[in-house]
Amino acid sequence: MPTILALPLLLALAQPAAPLPPPLPGLLVERRLAERAGLGVGDTLYVRALAGAAAARPFVVEGVFEREADPNRISRNELEVRLHLPDLEALRPTPDRVDRFAVVLADGGGDAPRAAAFARWVEQLAFGTRAYGSAELAEGASTTFKVVSRFHRAIGLVTVLAAGIFLLCVMIIRVDERRRDLGMLRLLGVGRGSVFRAIVLEAVAIATLGSAAGAGLGIGVARLVNLYYARVYDTTLRFALLTPRIVLLAALLGLVLGVAAGVLAALRVVHVPPQRLGER
Amino acid sequence: MIVSTSLRGLLRRRSRSALALAGIAVSAALLLDMTMLASGLTQSFGELTAAQGYALRVTPKGTLPFDSEAGIRAAAAVAGRLRRVEGVRAVAPVLGAQLYAVRGDSVGEPLFTVGVDPAAQMLYLLVEGREPRAGEVVVSQPLAQAYGLGPGSVLPLATELDLSLGRPRQSHPARVSGVGDFLYDFAGQRSLAAPLADVQRLTRRPDQVSLFAVAAAPGVGDDVLARRLERALPELSVYSTRELMRAMDQRLLYFRQLATILGSVALVVCALLVATIVTIGVRERFGELATLRALGVARRRLLLGVMAEGVALAGVGCLLGLPFGLWMAERLDRILLSFPGIPAKLSFFVFNPPRVAFALAVVIVTGALAGLLPGWQAVRTPLGRALREEAE
Repeated sequence: MPTILALPLLLALAQPAAPLPPPLPGLLVERRLAERAGLGVGDTLYVRALAGAAAARPFVVEGVFEREADPNRISRNELEVRLHLPDLEALRPTPDRVDRFAVVLADGGGDAPRAAAFARWVEQLAFGTRAYGSAELAEGASTTFKVVSRFHRAIGLVTVLAAGIFLLCVMIIRVDERRRDLGMLRLLGVGRGSVFRAIVLEAVAIATLGSAAGAGLGIGVARLVNLYYARVYDTTLRFALLTPRIVLLAALLGLVLGVAAGVLAALRVVHVPPQRLGER
Repeated sequence: MIVSTSLRGLLRRRSRSALALAGIAVSAALLLDMTMLASGLTQSFGELTAAQGYALRVTPKGTLPFDSEAGIRAAAAVAGRLRRVEGVRAVAPVLGAQLYAVRGDSVGEPLFTVGVDPAAQMLYLLVEGREPRAGEVVVSQPLAQAYGLGPGSVLPLATELDLSLGRPRQSHPARVSGVGDFLYDFAGQRSLAAPLADVQRLTRRPDQVSLFAVAAAPGVGDDVLARRLERALPELSVYSTRELMRAMDQRLLYFRQLATILGSVALVVCALLVATIVTIGVRERFGELATLRALGVARRRLLLGVMAEGVALAGVGCLLGLPFGLWMAERLDRILLSFPGIPAKLSFFVFNPPRVAFALAVVIVTGALAGLLPGWQAVRTPLGRALREEAE
């Protein structure tokens, strides 16, 4: 058995070496593209640049990658392949050109002043370039999200206004309904302060319960939103995030609205003489 | 009579009716804004795209206008083929590039530059001066203001920089022939337009364009012409305004869905408010309604009266909400137009009368339906029980 196996190898070694074709360059394919195009590791893929007139060149799929969840690219949501830089340059009409360099500084480059000093040095050295620290870059890249955030805040203000009016309306109705009872209590000697506090406490209780129900609903809606968009964009990005800070803010707003609505509703009855509270 | 009695009930309970109206007005305003937002940008974009009659775009295969650096080669021949397609009125070639303003020995900021055929272009409207000839440019108003330019001024331009010396490799003086209002620029954008041949020469992209804008002859539909162009030039992509709007819609999916969600929430809040107010009103007038039934007034008429309360609240709320909604839309538009790269002439909120009328009609129908439930409960209660409860 070992003799039979050894024979072809020896023959191969004995033959003159035939020139082997150069191996195809490799590329990485994004998971979504691999799934849609039915690509797997080892497959050959022909690639050409839209810019330029170069013919399509074959590449071997060396791996499949998952694109990092980047909110900046979600609206275009394009499919990606990753090539070695020289291979990509060879496909394009503009050789020896890159869009940007990412630089890692030695000895803990996270030091912001040092990074800023380095950025200024680069800009002086290579005129016409701009260098950004990671914080500056994040700031610039997040402009879109800042606008979205401002828009959400404005809508949130309107919603708070509507909620406040609704709560006040409910409180006034509840107080109006119990005018006779409140008049009776006052005639029995219950002080204005006690009536006032009772109404305010009731409003706070309603607002608190409403806030709690809203938080629960918010958690549910956020999950639904994330599930939906994860399916639409095929991404791991989370579109709705309910943080403890947001819940706390909503609870505080609810509390403030509750107190305000309670005070306004209570003021309608505490200054009315008790004998008139029974009038229809 | 029954309806007016119901409406008088609303006037009797002034403060709560006023509050309910305020709440409904806010909800109606929010719904109105979300209706305007849902289709506003797409509609506005469609109007801008079709500006000056050029409603079609022909781009390199698979790309949207200015979506990549890809260009259309043999542009003159392609333009000729486009013009020969039946139903084409005009063809406007556009080449996008980036040039630098030169100041003294150093280079200034990069300027978005378009190469156009001055006889057929749809990117700007002349505000001052005339169309450019060879060696001339039309500058945008922000660029003219920033550099103090006007017709006759000279603006040196460079295509490439020497990174080590901080100087332009070569400077090309361009005479300003006019100042234009660039339709697709974002607020404050500094850009310029030059004859196509000049930009092709400066950027070393001979006989190349980024896209063609095509105008249809009178009586020829955009979609029909788009299909003809696709057949005539299968190697290129052709987009009608509708297709571009669809592509835009896809990219703005988030806003459309947000508008739908917030609009629905506004409608629910509105329904809750109307239902609460009408329910309380009906409960307070329980005895009155029972007495009317005992006197022989038909249930249907009583129900109509209760529903009229809901309709009145929702209707007046809508009237109050309309100006508030328009004011709010203007504010929100200002926020959203600060998105980077959004043309200043676009609007996220567009007042589309049929859509707005539909949204407000939905609010009024919601008001009627919100009044239906408490009204139905009141008129279905057995008369004897209703009278007894009221007496107690």
